[in-house]
Amino acid sequence: MREFQITFKPPAPNRVLVADDDPVITHLLTTILKQQGCEPVVANDGREAYRILQSDSRFRAAILDLSMPFLGGLDLINYMRSERRLIRIPIMMITAEQDIKLLADSLSAGATAFLPKPFTPEQLDSAVRLLIGSSKAKRDH
Amino acid sequence: MVSDSAIRSSEGTDHPLRASMASDVLDYDVLTAFESVKSDDDQDIVIELMDLYLNSAPRRIEEIRNATGDDARCVIKHLAHTLKGSSSTLGLRGVANACQQLEDLSSTSGASANTLVGNLESRFAEARKALIAERSRRTR
Repeated sequence: MREFQITFKPPAPNRVLVADDDPVITHLLTTILKQQGCEPVVANDGREAYRILQSDSRFRAAILDLSMPFLGGLDLINYMRSERRLIRIPIMMITAEQDIKLLADSLSAGATAFLPKPFTPEQLDSAVRLLIGSSKAKRDH
Repeated sequence: MVSDSAIRSSEGTDHPLRASMASDVLDYDVLTAFESVKSDDDQDIVIELMDLYLNSAPRRIEEIRNATGDDARCVIKHLAHTLKGSSSTLGLRGVANACQQLEDLSSTSGASANTLVGNLESRFAEARKALIAERSRRTR
């Protein structure tokens, strides 16, 4: 009689990388992510986010501020899109920049979504849902 | 400049001064919209956000005031940009506008830079009073 072995994939991580140097925005993001059942992992600047990503790729999504000390969000997108283990992680950029070129640069570099500051709680909630949904669609594909 | 007594008397939601402050210091509708976000520790998230802002903003403003050297303009631009983000998110229009003016500044030398930093400090002093009044109203 043939034996069948059933293996279960480990549950997909609900961890979301949050990189922003503003504690107000970080607190808002982490609170909304927890509300949606996610586990936020916080980096307080671009360099800290880069260090985390060097050794950890188990993220369902990443939310990055465009303008951070040491290493900006655009540099982080370029890094993530050049690393095979990070390439499928959807990225949402947040910024108070009004410059439309920066938005275009972020999207062409590989950002999935873009949320301009200031944002309302509803806009933030919807954007996070969209991002997590996009992650699920990529994994199911 | 809005006086302490004026802010104290504006704590009622229907007070006309509170309505007028919405346009130049604090937009209460923007701030209180965050009541819809449920804090994971069941605390008032609006108070948490105000406390974080009141703790972090003075340090950034001091860094803007003390920025010197070749990269001063870059430092000021970055700090003003970050402060603008949280200020506008919380409805602190006066501070956000003052930050935008600093971001647009082409040079950190001369009277205009000092004037704009002074303007930011004044707008923050107004914002701080309004936030403390709102905090006091919420914890009453």
